[in-house]
Amino acid sequence: MLKKKTVGAGLALVASTVLIAGCDGWLGETGGEVDITAMSAEELADYLVLETGSYRLEQEAQEGGSARDRMTQDGIQAACSLEGDPDAETAGNVIAMARESYEAPPGGARLGNWRRGAELARSGYGYRVGHRNDDHGQREPGGNCYACHQMDPAEELYGTLGPSLAGYGATRGNDSAVVNYVHQVVSNPHQYFPCTQMPRFGRNNFLTEEQIAHIMAYLLDPASPVNQ
Amino acid sequence: MFKKALLALPVAMAVGAAAQAGEWQDPNDVLQNLLQNNPDSKYLHQSEMNIMMMPDNPALWLVEEGEELFYAQRGPNNVSLEGCDFGKGPGELEGAYVELPRYFDDVGKVMDFEMRLVHCMKELQGFTSDDSAVGQRHGSGSDIMKLTTYIAHQSSGMAWNPPLDHPEEQAMRDAGEVLFFRRGGAMDFNCASCHGDAGKQIRASVLPQMRDSQEWTKAVSWPAHRAGQDNVRSQNHRIRGCVWQMRHAGILPDTPVNTALISFWNDAARGEPAILPDLKR
Ligand code: HEC
Repeated sequence: MLKKKTVGAGLALVASTVLIAGCDGWLGETGGEVDITAMSAEELADYLVLETGSYRLEQEAQEGGSARDRMTQDGIQAACSLEGDPDAETAGNVIAMARESYEAPPGGARLGNWRRGAELARSGYGYRVGHRNDDHGQREPGGNCYACHQMDPAEELYGTLGPSLAGYGATRGNDSAVVNYVHQVVSNPHQYFPCTQMPRFGRNNFLTEEQIAHIMAYLLDPASPVNQ
Repeated sequence: MFKKALLALPVAMAVGAAAQAGEWQDPNDVLQNLLQNNPDSKYLHQSEMNIMMMPDNPALWLVEEGEELFYAQRGPNNVSLEGCDFGKGPGELEGAYVELPRYFDDVGKVMDFEMRLVHCMKELQGFTSDDSAVGQRHGSGSDIMKLTTYIAHQSSGMAWNPPLDHPEEQAMRDAGEVLFFRRGGAMDFNCASCHGDAGKQIRASVLPQMRDSQEWTKAVSWPAHRAGQDNVRSQNHRIRGCVWQMRHAGILPDTPVNTALISFWNDAARGEPAILPDLKR
């Protein structure tokens, strides 16, 4: 049936496409009228993501809103969709956007319970949607820090996409300047590292302020195994 | 039993080989060459166990089953898939897999391998999406994975060479590159977040770097038996898995984002021999 629709819609338009663009290109499933060769690669990519039924965009996202919202880029995502490091101008814009969108926690950043932080740092559960959906009612989502960082030096399984954080608090202490800085980095890291690969755990409502406080304790509390 | 298929192939290739695509090679030989040429690649060398198991790759068991399915008269129309054109003419499978995605005149668009296979099973054999023959996409027991493994195996050792002559092929490849770097989702990831640097690890897995074509040819060499999942998996399954982990929206089969990503990633492995089927973690 898809095919019929395509041909039906396409027929009238083939003529005009050929006349205008001199090209017979269009995507079958999109209703027939689109000449993909007339778009820039960026336009085509956005079109493919948002207009071709390639994703389950109507699905609910756990953080609120829909999967479509996830695939619609905000300023930082758009500016950082590049290969390698951003140039100085882009970096400056991204830092400005990150500062503007950063929210300090009500009452100021604080440390929670490092034991809870340890669990959250290990857990890779949460926010996945599609053929299987993570059910936050069944299990609390985590920060998945170990996927990219070393933390507790005794832990053998850790990723290397981000820097090692072993002994992080032991070398830096945990006065309020350090606590505020770490909160900014976990919540909205582009303020310091424009176009970093690190997620904006606060800004994206991925972790709650309480969870962030626990993870910060895991990093900064002198009793935490990270600092042994 | 797959031995038979393996032995028969090189002979057939010698006769009908498209010289440009290179000679058919046993997937284990392709892998051994890559390992030798890249002694320092952590990605390629990460699993000694898998390297050892490669000659007995369980994915090879699907080759013969896939061959039977390909030539069997099936579906409501009771015809074989010999009439299916994967780009080199009806029923011509040698070298076809490494020259996809491509533009097909009969549908007026670029199709990736799985899209094309499903297209043929529907149009020629008369299956519908409700039939498990095309509905079930994943798992070693699925018709799709058996057929995929058989057909892909006919291109083992040949160089990735997706055509870019048609403007739509070029457009899809270029959009795929943009998609590779397009940030989004609840974690702000793009594909390069994890595949942008060499030798990086996510937990225990060493990740392939997209701009290193010798790492990347192994990365995109699907179908592959995934030891951790004890199933043979496709390129499309890999995309779905990465997209899911990225916390993007769920991606659907037979859709152009898949095609564009595969157009780009096969192009990123251009010129390097494909390992078909491969064995992965
Ligand atoms: C959050 C990190 C992450 C992101 C982002 C990501 N991947 Fe992956 N990718 C992985 C992991 C982990 C593997 C499996 C590696 C293993 O188990 O050895 C993998 C495997 C692959 C492989 C096969 C290599 C292999 O050995 O299994 C390809 C190809 C690939 N990814 C492509 C992509 C594409 C395309 C995207 C963007 C749509 C993407 N990845 C985004 C983490 C990621």
